[in-house]
Amino acid sequence: MMFGNPLTLLTLGPIVAGFAFMLLAWATPPSKRAEVSQYIRILIFAFALLLFALSTLMFLESYSGISWTQIGLNNYVYDNCANADVAIEAGGCSLVNGFGVSWHVGVDGLSFPMVWLTTLLIPVSMLVEWDAKKGPQFHSLILMMEGALIGVFVSLDLFVFYTFWELTLIPMFFLILLWGGDDRKYAAQKFFIYTFTASVLMLLGILVMYYYTHVPVWEGNMTGRAFDVTLMASSSSTLGTSFLGGFGMQKAVFLLLLVGFAAKMPSVPVHTWLPDAHVQAPTAGSMLLAGVMLKMGAYGFIRLAVGLLPAALVHFQVLIVILGMVSLVYGAIVCLGQTNLKRMVAYSSVSHMGLVFLGIATMQPLGIAGAIFMMLAHGIISPHLFAVCGAFKHHYHTLEIGSMRGIAKHSPWLSGHMMTAWMGSLGLPLMAGFVAEVAIMIAFWMAFGWWVILPALTLIITAAYYLWSMQRTIFEGGEDGELPESLHGEDPVDITWHENAGMFVLAALAVILGIMPFIFFDMISAFSGEFVTEVILDALNGVKP
Amino acid sequence: MSENNTSEKRFLPIIGLFLLFPFLRMFGGDLATGSPFTALDSAFLIPLIPIVIFPVIAILGQWYAGEDWWRDNFKEGGMIALCTMAISLSLTIWLAVEFFTGGASFHHPMEWSLFNWITFDTIGQDVNGDWVHLQVSDSLNVGLWIDNVSMMLLFVASFLCFLICWFSIGYMNTDPVNKDRNHRFYAEFVLFTAGMLGMVLADSFLWLFIFWEIMGLCSYLLIGFYYERPSAAYAAKKAFLTTRVGDVFLLIGLLMMYDIYGTLAFDKLLVDPSTDLLGNPVNAGTLKVALGMLFVGAVGKSAQFPLHVWLPDAMEGPTPVSALIHAATMVNAGLYLVARFVPFFDVTSHGHGVEGLEDLAILIAWIGGITAFMAALIAFVQTDIKKVLAYSTMSQLAYIFTGLGVALWFYNHGEHHAAVIAFGASMFHLFNHAMAKGMLFMSSGSVIHEMHHAHHHVHHDEEGHDDFDPQDMRNMGGLASKMPITATAMAIGSASIIGLPLIGGFWSKEGIVAETWNAAALHGGTWLLFPAFLILLTAGMTGFYMTRMWMMTFAGKPKSEYVGHVHEQTPWIPTPLVTLSVISLLGGFVLAILGAINWLGDAETLGTLVHEHGIVVAILETISHAFLPTDFFLFLVTWVTIAISLVVGPAMAMRIHGGDLKEGERGPQLISWIPPLSAKFGRADVSDLAESGLADALHRRLYFDELYEWAIAKTIIPLSHAFAWFDRRVIDGAVKGIEWGSQKISGDVRKITTGRASDYILMAVIGTFSILVLLWGVI
Repeated sequence: MMFGNPLTLLTLGPIVAGFAFMLLAWATPPSKRAEVSQYIRILIFAFALLLFALSTLMFLESYSGISWTQIGLNNYVYDNCANADVAIEAGGCSLVNGFGVSWHVGVDGLSFPMVWLTTLLIPVSMLVEWDAKKGPQFHSLILMMEGALIGVFVSLDLFVFYTFWELTLIPMFFLILLWGGDDRKYAAQKFFIYTFTASVLMLLGILVMYYYTHVPVWEGNMTGRAFDVTLMASSSSTLGTSFLGGFGMQKAVFLLLLVGFAAKMPSVPVHTWLPDAHVQAPTAGSMLLAGVMLKMGAYGFIRLAVGLLPAALVHFQVLIVILGMVSLVYGAIVCLGQTNLKRMVAYSSVSHMGLVFLGIATMQPLGIAGAIFMMLAHGIISPHLFAVCGAFKHHYHTLEIGSMRGIAKHSPWLSGHMMTAWMGSLGLPLMAGFVAEVAIMIAFWMAFGWWVILPALTLIITAAYYLWSMQRTIFEGGEDGELPESLHGEDPVDITWHENAGMFVLAALAVILGIMPFIFFDMISAFSGEFVTEVILDALNGVKP
Repeated sequence: MSENNTSEKRFLPIIGLFLLFPFLRMFGGDLATGSPFTALDSAFLIPLIPIVIFPVIAILGQWYAGEDWWRDNFKEGGMIALCTMAISLSLTIWLAVEFFTGGASFHHPMEWSLFNWITFDTIGQDVNGDWVHLQVSDSLNVGLWIDNVSMMLLFVASFLCFLICWFSIGYMNTDPVNKDRNHRFYAEFVLFTAGMLGMVLADSFLWLFIFWEIMGLCSYLLIGFYYERPSAAYAAKKAFLTTRVGDVFLLIGLLMMYDIYGTLAFDKLLVDPSTDLLGNPVNAGTLKVALGMLFVGAVGKSAQFPLHVWLPDAMEGPTPVSALIHAATMVNAGLYLVARFVPFFDVTSHGHGVEGLEDLAILIAWIGGITAFMAALIAFVQTDIKKVLAYSTMSQLAYIFTGLGVALWFYNHGEHHAAVIAFGASMFHLFNHAMAKGMLFMSSGSVIHEMHHAHHHVHHDEEGHDDFDPQDMRNMGGLASKMPITATAMAIGSASIIGLPLIGGFWSKEGIVAETWNAAALHGGTWLLFPAFLILLTAGMTGFYMTRMWMMTFAGKPKSEYVGHVHEQTPWIPTPLVTLSVISLLGGFVLAILGAINWLGDAETLGTLVHEHGIVVAILETISHAFLPTDFFLFLVTWVTIAISLVVGPAMAMRIHGGDLKEGERGPQLISWIPPLSAKFGRADVSDLAESGLADALHRRLYFDELYEWAIAKTIIPLSHAFAWFDRRVIDGAVKGIEWGSQKISGDVRKITTGRASDYILMAVIGTFSILVLLWGVI
């Protein structure tokens, strides 16, 4: 029962396979290394494609077989332990006997888009950085990363969730440390320690919730408690304000979780690890970092903080709005003052993730759906941004905006991708980011009225820094053959076919989802509708004086 | 470049074949469903095909740039673009036929829905203040909405896109500067077409906005076509950001509209805007603010005061771009949006508008009046032929804004008849102006192109760049005999813009001026007196600057050596000029007889008068209506307008810039009398005026650009540097402080980091493996 589940395969498959490929590469005698590594890379890539095909099949099946609009809250698709209340309380799917830890996986409209996105980004990022040094090791680390990331999104048991959450740090740490830029040691350590510290606070919150989630004591479970999210959720909805022993504790746990997730998203003021990590990370690492790892924060926030503690969200609504607003506006203005292309793009992630907080804080189904769609859209567009930055670094050996001029003349493909990605990120209609922005803005107006002027004016600043950076890198000049000094007299080249192919996939998806957002928006909207009407509505009415 | 000049004849059959696309579609419907598709079923293809063709041209062009067959047979993508335009045009014509034969109109628009873009639930507070799930499954949808105004604009857009694409093949492909990069031009051109046609067809404000932004993108890309020139890169960015300011307000307007009505779809908003979806009456104050926000967006897009600064700089783009985007189509988007306001204002018995919106109508008229006057004033001192036309565009669009403001004011006053005339006249002016200005820009392109070639011809083997500017009218003069078709086209276009009686723009401009005065003086709209004065004055100024442009370019003696080498010989260029000349010359008149103003305003069918009384009566009726209004006051306004725009303005321009051609040279037949005539007015010396402070202020565009740049340089730029510093030093500094402390402790731990990749990986693998064992071992 456990291993027949496709989600289990998606989670453990890549970890095991990545491990095996790593050993294989490590065990290859040095004389044959060059030859064998070619095959290993192709195998790894094929494996990643296979996983992508699997998740796409799940997606297609979901359209023909599973009606996302009817699964209801607290129910999951591809659930290996359905009816968790009964099954887990009776010891089903149990993983660590005696502690209420179970192997419980499932997806819904919130997590499935993230799972699909992960399986997509893995092969794409491999493709973009196809010729990395020590390719087999590099690609198997990415493969391991895939398993850990998917594990975060699919696990419905908080113990397993936390395990995967920390597991994602390890491959990323090594990706930065071993394949990063000049200052990689500092960046890797900062990344690791920073996010680890934040997640320890999150763990504290999880343990408090564990402590208060009661299941009957049976033979295998002597604690009488469980880590299962579904059990926690039903406990939260039946107990209401007395969940976790009272509203005071709920608020405390909410804040603990908030710190953990805000640092991951990241939100101002706990964002400073991101620019350093991005600037030093290899291209594929940056793509995954921005594309999926940041979404873990937003995902966790919606699933745990909001889903289990809705009354605390209502209580802290203003705080969330302020966090989101500051991230959005401050992030955008800081972007305008950056001179390093990758640093600018990193700060733009901070800015866009601020919108996610704003969408959640509206507590409207549309706002939350917009926030989730923003996670998906940003997960497609920001890897494109970082792939472009990586190509600049790779082919022009510089990321300083001021040192480049008229690149479009030498690298038309690169410039085309830069324009597409930049335009997608500044919220151009018919691209995915716009859908999310419009949804969040409409909901924001319904909830907060004229405050919308701040995010709206930020759209101008966003356009300004993106256009300005394009003007100073790919346009303007280059007529009289002036080239960046960092080339040291080499001929400028355009991107390679594999970079081009990877970026094309991202560009095409951004446009397809921008024209036909309903492909994913339907399931997201079904989730957010259930979520708001079942969870938040009670909280809204409950805390009303 | 003459080896590149494969003439257009070879391609005519292919283009003609693509014009037959609707028949293919009809047969396709027969095969697929058993009954032929209608034009309405096919209308979504009008924007869709260009969207699909956009990446095709871009990618093929990038792959095959530089190959001979791509250059000669495909014109670097130009032929693909032109065939796409042909499909869109033929589908539009098909749709128009169905529109007229099917009796569609404002009150019976053609509607067609495509799919639900996004669907979602909504929560809200009920009367007790409890939060409840509002039992509506909302969605934002995609569909088509075609009424009189969108039909007219759809035709204008697809027709001009087709002609200007045709022109571009001659203009762009024969210029060595563009060699092997024209595919980018055509790809962006095609995407622009999709944006424009999509915007016109959209059935909700949301999709109007979406395509609106797509046009903005294309405008940005095409202005920056010569991206290596810093001025072009700068102008592109400026255009995008300035219109973006307007767009953000437009977006806020959309949010407000959604909040007010619960939908953005035209089938609610344009049918009964007096109540929201649940039947509650709408608050006029809120609605006024929402519409005002939408209007700011229109101001940005149509380059009106105070967001007008981008349009003159936008002339950095290739001339076909100026003709298409910055004269004939995109800048009309703002007008189209404001034209969509009518149902909200219409409180007559014909509509369900909301009372109390006059202020906004007056504001629209004021913005129009101010811009019309200001732009005309600045046009006085421009020496760049395209800049004159740019300011003229701004000024003429402002006319239409004034007319729309007056129409909306009438609607909100309950004066249905006057409102219909003012609205119809404004929309008709949009038509006439688009045709004439598109042609004027193409003519200026023709002039610039030939001047450029002449310059090349004179200095053919020299590499040195001198400061010769082929767009500067001070280098031209006396071109009438060298470029007969262009000179004639430009004269007709200018006449249409000036409002020469019986030609194009006359019919619509008279209507706007007369109705503005009608509202201001006879219906108590005291606030409208100001714009009424301004646009009357501007009528004379239009006469001045258009005549001045023509005289400086075509009349008088040559002002540089290059003029003698100018020949009008580039293929593909004359055809669109001739076509549009005929339309500008006769189109206005013909449509006026058919009652276009009434039809665009409200009427169900076109050509009622002809139908009822026969052609002769219709002509007499139309002429007497225009020249001999029964009301004495309007009679006076009409003739004052004619007098100052036709006599005072042009005469003054001729006194300053006029002059006969060189001995023995004559202009083309139709206009050969103009240069000799202009010489008869004598000479006026204006050098004192040209050095005055006013002229300086006009040269510096009344300081608007400097003001904006100063404001940006003093606020957001220092702020961004301060924030970047703050982020690095203060926020990250705090983190580093903590790190410094903890690094001391972790010193021991760091001793196991050997720095060898294989060790790290081995440790990671061991760690991962142990976790897995931990997880699995206990199952």
